Amino acid sequence: MMRTLNIFLIFTSIALLAGVYALKFSIEGTAAERSALIALIDEQEGQLSLVKADWAVLNQPGHIEPIVRRHQAELAIEPVKQEQFGSFAALPMRPAKPDTAAMDALFEAIANGIDPIDAILELEGIE
Amino acid sequence: MAVASEDFVPTIALDGARKQRGTLTQARIRWMILALVIGFGMVGGRLVQLGMVETDQTIEGQTRDVITATRPPILDRNGLEMAVDIRVPSLYAEPRRIIDVEEAVRELRTVLPDLDENWLRNRLTGDRGFVWIKRELTPAIQEQVMRLGIPGIDFITESKRFYPGMNEAAHILGSTNVDNQGIAGIERHMDTESVALLQELGLARGNALTPVELSVDMRVQHILHDQLVDAMTRYQAIAAAGVMMDIHTGEIIALASVPDFNPNEPATALVKDTFNRITAGIFEPGSTFKTVTFAGALDSGAVRLTDNFDARYGIRFGRYTIDDFHGKHRILSLPEVYKYSSNIGTIRIMQAMGKDNFRAFLSRMKFDQRVDFELPEMRVPTVPKELSEVGAATASFGHGLSISPLHLVTAYAAFANGGNYVPPTLYKRDIAEAEALYERVLQPETSTALRYLMRLNALEGSGSQMNKAAQGYRAGGKTGTAEKVVDGRYSSSKVTNFFASAFPLDNPRYAIVIMVDEPKAENPQSGTTAGWNAGAITGRLIQRAAPMLGIAPDFSEALDREIVPPVLR
Repeated sequence: MMRTLNIFLIFTSIALLAGVYALKFSIEGTAAERSALIALIDEQEGQLSLVKADWAVLNQPGHIEPIVRRHQAELAIEPVKQEQFGSFAALPMRPAKPDTAAMDALFEAIANGIDPIDAILELEGIE
Repeated sequence: MAVASEDFVPTIALDGARKQRGTLTQARIRWMILALVIGFGMVGGRLVQLGMVETDQTIEGQTRDVITATRPPILDRNGLEMAVDIRVPSLYAEPRRIIDVEEAVRELRTVLPDLDENWLRNRLTGDRGFVWIKRELTPAIQEQVMRLGIPGIDFITESKRFYPGMNEAAHILGSTNVDNQGIAGIERHMDTESVALLQELGLARGNALTPVELSVDMRVQHILHDQLVDAMTRYQAIAAAGVMMDIHTGEIIALASVPDFNPNEPATALVKDTFNRITAGIFEPGSTFKTVTFAGALDSGAVRLTDNFDARYGIRFGRYTIDDFHGKHRILSLPEVYKYSSNIGTIRIMQAMGKDNFRAFLSRMKFDQRVDFELPEMRVPTVPKELSEVGAATASFGHGLSISPLHLVTAYAAFANGGNYVPPTLYKRDIAEAEALYERVLQPETSTALRYLMRLNALEGSGSQMNKAAQGYRAGGKTGTAEKVVDGRYSSSKVTNFFASAFPLDNPRYAIVIMVDEPKAENPQSGTTAGWNAGAITGRLIQRAAPMLGIAPDFSEALDREIVPPVLR
């Protein structure tokens, strides 16, 4: 009786010992993984801070203006002038009635095969 | 037992085998207990010893947290970064762990040849736990040093402040030192407020800090800076500065002063003449100060817009006679006095108000104290406590007292916004917060009259150069050409020019002060007075900045007619 109990206890102790060691090693593994991840996050945060700083530089008006000036002639752009601003209120009102006579004349001309746009295009030398 | 057996021959007692075994077992148990006590004692002792060890957390006197502490990013009013933190590696050594100092010195100098050999040897010798070798290196150099594989040499990631706008907002931002502490500008102010405390508590780490939002608009700031840099060459000036303020909230939209410095290289801030002329420079404001005299006199009721003043002859004070620069020498109406910038007329207006009332008005406008502002670089203005007759006369046209351009722009903001003094700020502030700070200094009618005078000066007076560029934006202001004192005398060739203005005057929103120091004529046809340089800069600034600020040009003359007060229509 005592003997079997002892044998049982010995085996249990060995099993528990093995379990504790396994747990210890797995925790150590997890801890190593964690510190590796922390290092990785840290490094990536560092890179991110550099990329963000880059982005901020590229976004600065002081960085963009020289680029615009360099391409001013090629793109034919100029600083906006006051006269170029408009508002919806400044748009002319729609005529009270559509010009039906002119529209009819236009549609008739197109039906007859004369497109007024063609004449303009020929004049401009397109086609 | 010994006492009892004294008289007897000692008996020979033989222990039985069982008893012998029992004694042996008892001895063994005692030895075992002793071994266990010693064993556990050793473990316990070691535990106590480990508990007593104080790990060195400091880096040359500072805690590790302070070194790696970050600062909150600074954003402009539209969310564009003005200052960010970047992570950079810094090289340090633990001399007590270095095995071969000579080898370490030799190898380190292959990567970092600019390190002094003797300095490095002294640095690495000894028993210290931590010494810096070189801070804020590039990742490429970090890689090379790592490859050397010297024991006792390692890197720590530090936060370094970076200003993507370079010079543009230098005077607003200021700069930080190598330990990431603010040493100038708004950075310094942030430290005195809250950031230093956070860093001390070790909370300022990672990217968790809430960004600080400034009132500055980087687009306008860029235009202002660009115009000032341009002015330095165009007018061969020794310095130029400008500030734009939202007159209703007191927010500073742009503030620049050239020559300036690059906050990424704080050493450049030490170069002579790079100080912030807007806050830390005090100047005689010249004729821009006439607006102040007009404001005081009109508000006191001593003069009215329809009054006339005798400007036929100069005014004598003992040996001195004060005369006009381009004198008309006739009777002038009040708007004409402003338009022609008549010194004589202005003195008469001041005298109608009385010199003591005039001095009291200067105090009401806070011209005799520091402006309540975030930047630490400030100078106290010099305004005489008591004004003599002649002192009051010269003060009425801006001589004999020195104020900062920030004083001037704050005053002009109050003149244009309906008469409320609002302290300027560099932080975002909404209109409700601003209204709580309002301090009434003028009646609204006086403000209306001043808007009219400023607009009139742009249409017909010295502000016409400004108005030429800023057509349609209803801008107006006053020029000021202050002669500099050279060897105790006012010099007519060396001048400081100002242009103080507000726009759009039908519904004013922004006040501007531009200053150009010792400008020369741009070409033979132009002059050196303020309208030609400070005025023209203001015009170009408004032309480019107004659309960004949501102000549409309007050429209708009805708007200008509406600015005219009813008494003059």
